[in-house]
Amino acid sequence: MRGSIICIGNRFIEEDAAGLRVFDRIQALHPLPVGIELVEGGLAGLNLLPLLEHGGRVVFVDAIRGFTQAGKIVLLTHREILQAPGHFCFGHDAGLPYLLAVLPKVCEGELPEEMVLVGLEGSCVDETIEKAAEMSVSIAVHGLRGLG
Amino acid sequence: MVKITKGINIPLNRAEGDLEINVEVEDGIITEAWSAGTLFRGFEGMMQGRGALDGLVMTPRVCGICSITHLTAAVEALDAIAAVTPPDNARRLRNLALMVETVQSDVRQAILMFMVDFANRDAYGDHPLGADAYGRYQPLAGRAALEVIRESKRLVQVIAIIGGQWPHTSFMVPGGVTSIPEIAKLLQCRIIVERFQSWYERSILGCSIERWLAIGSVADLETWLEESPAHRDSEVGFFLRFSRKIGLQALGKGPNRFLSYGNLPLPLETEVKGTGGRMTAAGYAACAAVFSFEANKISEDVSHSWYEQDTVALHPFAGKTKPYASGQSGRLYSWVKAPRYGGEVIETGPLAEMVISGNPLFCDMIEKDGPSVMARQLARLVRPAGLLRPMALWLDELVEKRGEPFYHSVRTIPDGQGAGMIQAARGALGHWVKIQDEKISHYQIITPTAWNGSPRDEQGARGAWEEALIGTPVKDIKNPVEAGHVVRSFDPCLVCAVHCLSKGQERGRVTVGSFR
Repeated sequence: MRGSIICIGNRFIEEDAAGLRVFDRIQALHPLPVGIELVEGGLAGLNLLPLLEHGGRVVFVDAIRGFTQAGKIVLLTHREILQAPGHFCFGHDAGLPYLLAVLPKVCEGELPEEMVLVGLEGSCVDETIEKAAEMSVSIAVHGLRGLG
Repeated sequence: MVKITKGINIPLNRAEGDLEINVEVEDGIITEAWSAGTLFRGFEGMMQGRGALDGLVMTPRVCGICSITHLTAAVEALDAIAAVTPPDNARRLRNLALMVETVQSDVRQAILMFMVDFANRDAYGDHPLGADAYGRYQPLAGRAALEVIRESKRLVQVIAIIGGQWPHTSFMVPGGVTSIPEIAKLLQCRIIVERFQSWYERSILGCSIERWLAIGSVADLETWLEESPAHRDSEVGFFLRFSRKIGLQALGKGPNRFLSYGNLPLPLETEVKGTGGRMTAAGYAACAAVFSFEANKISEDVSHSWYEQDTVALHPFAGKTKPYASGQSGRLYSWVKAPRYGGEVIETGPLAEMVISGNPLFCDMIEKDGPSVMARQLARLVRPAGLLRPMALWLDELVEKRGEPFYHSVRTIPDGQGAGMIQAARGALGHWVKIQDEKISHYQIITPTAWNGSPRDEQGARGAWEEALIGTPVKDIKNPVEAGHVVRSFDPCLVCAVHCLSKGQERGRVTVGSFR
């Protein structure tokens, strides 16, 4: 199955940079498996929609706040992402919940079969970033069952 | 006299990231306003000591909405320092990418961020046009709300083709561009732009671009509105009808002074028309009286901002961005500086572009009634009408002249200073850069939201939307939608901030209550 890893965030704001640190790590460490695409999603917001119209599996990687202890990783399903605040209204700062809420209503291609968020809480040490990078690749290739 | 000091929020957070606006209301009228940017950005400090070209990679990542815009300003500053004029084809490609970003922003902001307030049932549930507005703009369900996302998302393919990648292209370099799109790709861009134009004419204008651009006065606008059901039912037609019913033509006056740096440098040989070498004119206007633009009149006042204080407001080539948040409690209230032009507060954005470019409709509106929420938002909604045809022309010219240069060689960036001054979707954007020993020794950015959303200056003069809020009636302090209309008509964006997924997060608000 085709898989995408889309790393989100602002690398200039420490509390929002974790997703892009994971992007840098995956790019540096992993020759990506065939069929897996790595995207620096940054702050592209709604302009990520065209990347979500090709079916397959999509793994988002982003900083999170208020889900767990600082430095921990949380996996959130599509449904759990949609339960977060901010899914309802668009703004310049519209995030992942809005993107996923509007996706099925405007998609002109094939919706992803599976979408997962690898969420990193607060400041993360290098070990956590590396663990998230490995986890993201594994999920992109095998789905959640790839975590064993 | 009744003075309300109870703190109340409206959900401004959906639009503006880290922005807080405090207002005082007396007898149902806003009498004071303070606009505060609540996050220190500090990008300028990150740039110092980096390689001369690093601004091309770093500044587009400052903002997801204005990525191409920052890239354009950054490269124009380096062009100036290297004393190089990019070849015509590079101008065309750079302009096209910037125009895509502007057009996309304009229609999304209008429908998804401004007109969505017309679907606010607490405020307009009993309004005669309220049900229609709800059907059009209801979040995630309104037909216009979904259509605008569907149509505007395709535009990004043009940037992907021109820039060779998406997101985060850095295809603009001093001396030109790094990509030479194939003819087939240019034709693909042409089809995307044509398709978007067709939707824009059908749904947003309700008429052809030629018919819209023939409107030369407020009286003409009335004629156009009554001319056809397609005009009245279009998004522009509906916007006009709804706005007048709720009095937006009388709200949000602001300073009534305008600034545009001018935009879209013209290729030496082109069918596209402009003024002073740019498609969009540069200038300063007091009401509709336009004066030439003088870049040395720009200064940054930090008297009410949390920065190390200077005795005078400095030009951005001399400006500093050193946070200093202690002391002077109460006087300092924003991380946004206060840019001024000739010491004056100005408004920038689409309305400023229309007035300074001499658009007869908007000049007539300003002369008759002054600036307003309605004029400001209408200017944004119809700005693409002036951009889509030149986009198609430049694509045609690229196909015809593809064999001509796209790049003039620039081997190193010499010591020196230069400014990249352009019009972003939200208004005047400038990057002021100094290079020494092939490294950045100075970088200052003034964004459109700094111009429009500045705090007070040394003279106590309010920023543009602080001023525009004064006199705004607030019928229901629990749902102060009128204040939201005023602020959102400037399309504020402090989004170069935090996006992460949060539980119960709340950012950005208008608070009714004392800030003194």
